[in-house]
Amino acid sequence: MKKWISLMAIASISTAALAGCSGGSSGKGNASPSSTAASSASESSGKSSGKPVELTFWGDWSGEGQKQFETMVDAFNKSQDRIKVKYVLQQDMITKFLTAATSGGSPDILFWDRWRTSLYAPKNVLHPLDDYLAKDGISKDDFYGEALKELTYKDQLYGLPLTVDARALFYNKKLLADAGVANPPTNWQELEDAAIKTTKWNGSKLQVAGFSLGDAGLFNMYLQQAGGTMLTDDGKTNFNNDKGKAVLDYWDRLLNQDKVYKIGFEQGLGESTDAFATGKLAMTYNGPWMLTTYKKYGKDLDFGVVPPPAGPNGDKGSVMGGFGLVIPEGSKHQQEAWEFVKWWTANKDNALLWAKTSLNIPGFKPAIEDPFFQDDPFWKPFLETLEIAKIRPTHPGYSVMEGDALVPNVQLFQQGKQSAEDTLKKAQQQGDKLLQDNAVVE
Amino acid sequence: MASISKLNRHQARTAYMFITPTILLFVIFTVVPVVMAFYFSFTNYDVVKNRDWVNFDNYKRLLHDDLYWTTFKNVAYYTVIFVPLNILISLGIAMLLNFRRFGVRLFRTMNYMPTLTSAVAAATVWVWLLHPEYGLVNTLLGYIGITGPAWLAQTETAMLSIILVTLWQSIGSNMIIYIAGLQGVPDYLYESAKLDGANALQRFRYITWPQLRPTTFLVSTMSIIGALQLFDQAFVLTQGGPGNVTKTPVYLIYQQGFNQLQMGYASAQAFILALAILIFSIVNMRVNKSEESVV
Repeated sequence: MKKWISLMAIASISTAALAGCSGGSSGKGNASPSSTAASSASESSGKSSGKPVELTFWGDWSGEGQKQFETMVDAFNKSQDRIKVKYVLQQDMITKFLTAATSGGSPDILFWDRWRTSLYAPKNVLHPLDDYLAKDGISKDDFYGEALKELTYKDQLYGLPLTVDARALFYNKKLLADAGVANPPTNWQELEDAAIKTTKWNGSKLQVAGFSLGDAGLFNMYLQQAGGTMLTDDGKTNFNNDKGKAVLDYWDRLLNQDKVYKIGFEQGLGESTDAFATGKLAMTYNGPWMLTTYKKYGKDLDFGVVPPPAGPNGDKGSVMGGFGLVIPEGSKHQQEAWEFVKWWTANKDNALLWAKTSLNIPGFKPAIEDPFFQDDPFWKPFLETLEIAKIRPTHPGYSVMEGDALVPNVQLFQQGKQSAEDTLKKAQQQGDKLLQDNAVVE
Repeated sequence: MASISKLNRHQARTAYMFITPTILLFVIFTVVPVVMAFYFSFTNYDVVKNRDWVNFDNYKRLLHDDLYWTTFKNVAYYTVIFVPLNILISLGIAMLLNFRRFGVRLFRTMNYMPTLTSAVAAATVWVWLLHPEYGLVNTLLGYIGITGPAWLAQTETAMLSIILVTLWQSIGSNMIIYIAGLQGVPDYLYESAKLDGANALQRFRYITWPQLRPTTFLVSTMSIIGALQLFDQAFVLTQGGPGNVTKTPVYLIYQQGFNQLQMGYASAQAFILALAILIFSIVNMRVNKSEESVV
């Protein structure tokens, strides 16, 4: 049983690490940690007349992320005097929410990793928002459609998107120029050529990797570029075909023939020794959350970002992720919680304030039109990528299928342990079974 | 007579009072959860909504869960290599450091240090040490002309790396237990053996090793239990990759329960794991069976 304690510790550490990576760190001094930060944890919402309604907002972002949340919460609290929101940091938020959802003590607003919706919405622990949207005349068209799709279960909407992200191609301008590559790649062929030219080996030592192939989990993205989809409409895997084969062949060529990368090259390199930041990697797929980190290197790292190169038939693809806000069914003040969610996610000024505070792309499209995003050479390619980006399939077993069936088989393929045909076949068989075993239980 | 039994009763009452807090905690935090988990393993419990009785469905599903059996194979492989090496190395170091000599304590402390570091922090450092291009291990190998592998990323070496890192971290405490055991071996045994002309190897074979049986039993049982519950180090070092070769049952149980909300199924998995630990421990007990009963 002691093991569970360490399990919890691991879980909280990993979520903290996740929050750290997604949250980025805004070096600007606009966050204002007021005395609320030090005030004691969750006091249950007291209901006495005249006093403002107190709402509890749970999130698992600490450090800079916590300050960013508190900036927004303070701004909301100042904007009116009926509702008072308090941010409560829950390092192990999801586990905590599981117990709180059934035993009372549920928060009123929850910071939500959107892909979890397909798992939690069927359990009736989230409150649907469609009625609020209709009553307040909020148009769904103002949000990224894919993000809303991820927050939807059986035609009911369970939250609004707070941030959206997708991976685009980061390239080191100097390394590309030195290797005689004039323009960043726009398709698979150009990407391969540029990767070959920028790779440098010293005997058996890889000095500069042309292109990162460290994350087999990006299969989904490549499959879209090859013109495929991960799942069929009826919830089965859909990559054991020539589209999936095209991705594996491409990876095999890059890794084992062109040798532009070496397995394990980036493993364990933290932020301070990041291969791209230190000029050991010429091109890599990454998300907007890395912009802040890479910009810190200033003149030492001259980099650019372009939308993901297109596949052999001109198909484009990237995977959209991001966070949202949801209202738990257990909240005693859902109407007030909605006011807060609306204020933050569906108001141009506030969404923009959030964007500038946290350096995230907000899910509210009118805010994207601001020059802050449109005139910035780093934000622009991400905005273009978001136009074509698709969410991960909303099947509750999807992440398990990807992590336990697809990625392990692809890793075996990358290391020459099994053929492309076997890889796809095994990934399909194991994947279909995992999808079935982890399908929705109502 | 009456007064003696009265005294006994009084002593018994006091004894129960003393152990009550511990027993209560044990019951609340260990016995009750175990019983509940056993019950849940026959339901589709998901924490928030369902708790319907599903008979043996979870266990039937387990039979066909290839991934779960793969993880069992992984920890079995790990255990078979890890436990003997653990005993061998910690006993070896214990014997080396079982002297009263200046500075020996320093070495004992240094050997014990890895045990004190947090598993996650230590594993993080090892990820750097094992980096294929910039890691210390491969740099050293490079000096003697060997191109080291990508330790954690290759299917051949990933589990070996985890074994080495966990060994490094666990031999310290076992060394201490062995030193205590060695100091409990009476000197007159060695003395009379020497008089009879036994050499060092014979003395180890016929005196030290049999005398240490209870210690070895303790060390091996603890490391078997620990090995089958491998999680933290494997999680930090390889996240279960590459190709599922370092995924462990505890990893799956956690994922199934907390990420997929299938607590019922996760409980069933946990019970099978507990059963496996029991079997391994019984085998171990048989192997270690000594003349004087240990348990």
